Amino acid sequence: MKRVLIVDDHATIRKMIRLALGDRFVLEEAGNADDAYTRILADCPDSIVLDVMMPGSMNGFQLCERIKRDRALVAMHVVLITACGQIEDQELGRAVGADAYFVKPFSPLALARHLGEALRVGLDGRAV
Amino acid sequence: MSQSLTEAAWRHCPWGMAAIGNDGNVLKVNPAFERCTGTAGATLPGMSEAAFAALLGSPLFEFVRVETQDGGLRALYYLRLVTANTGHKLELSRFTEALREPLASIYGFAELLLTQDYDEETRRDLTGTLLEQVEALTNIINEQHD
Repeated sequence: MKRVLIVDDHATIRKMIRLALGDRFVLEEAGNADDAYTRILADCPDSIVLDVMMPGSMNGFQLCERIKRDRALVAMHVVLITACGQIEDQELGRAVGADAYFVKPFSPLALARHLGEALRVGLDGRAV
Repeated sequence: MSQSLTEAAWRHCPWGMAAIGNDGNVLKVNPAFERCTGTAGATLPGMSEAAFAALLGSPLFEFVRVETQDGGLRALYYLRLVTANTGHKLELSRFTEALREPLASIYGFAELLLTQDYDEETRRDLTGTLLEQVEALTNIINEQHD
């Protein structure tokens, strides 16, 4: 099964995304970008759902940029999830190489559909 | 700097301050920190830095973390409300960002409750979370009016 790392400092948002993604993926969680980066280096997931504004030494934009500049990690599908709804924030998301950008509030089911299509995973968790 | 002078600077600093000990846990916070966050300082000592940092994720706060090895400390946090500098109301974009966090949970959990088949215990749990987020949203709006 494909592995997805959910990174958000709000436990409530992580819980919501976990529920929406259900059993189709192997899910892991991190509460900040630093912790997420450590996990990624140890065992690279297939995708990361990444909040932008988080405490710690780097935010989601910075972690995304770091991932996309690393040849070993660049193939990872990065979905930025953010409370920054400004156009320039979305442009920044594209500039750092994000594969998709969801603005809060967003449909968790739309996120699940997006990941299913991007990672080619069916509703039963099998490859399609 | 004498100890009393250090204590006075800690007590009267307009920025919220929090000290993280070498064990990686919160040692203490100053009065400005309690005012900024609305958190009782007595509840924080002993909390892990990761849990503490999670409290600061609101866009209502601006903070910096400074590494140190002085006085048995690992780090110091300096924090202030985004509005503290100007005394004016939050800039609109910051305010809407703050609103979007609980709104995201309300939207998401409502959608899941409407479309997914959960057992009664899970439905109650999710409904409770939804109500908590409505309360969080209301608090942000009330604070803005204050």
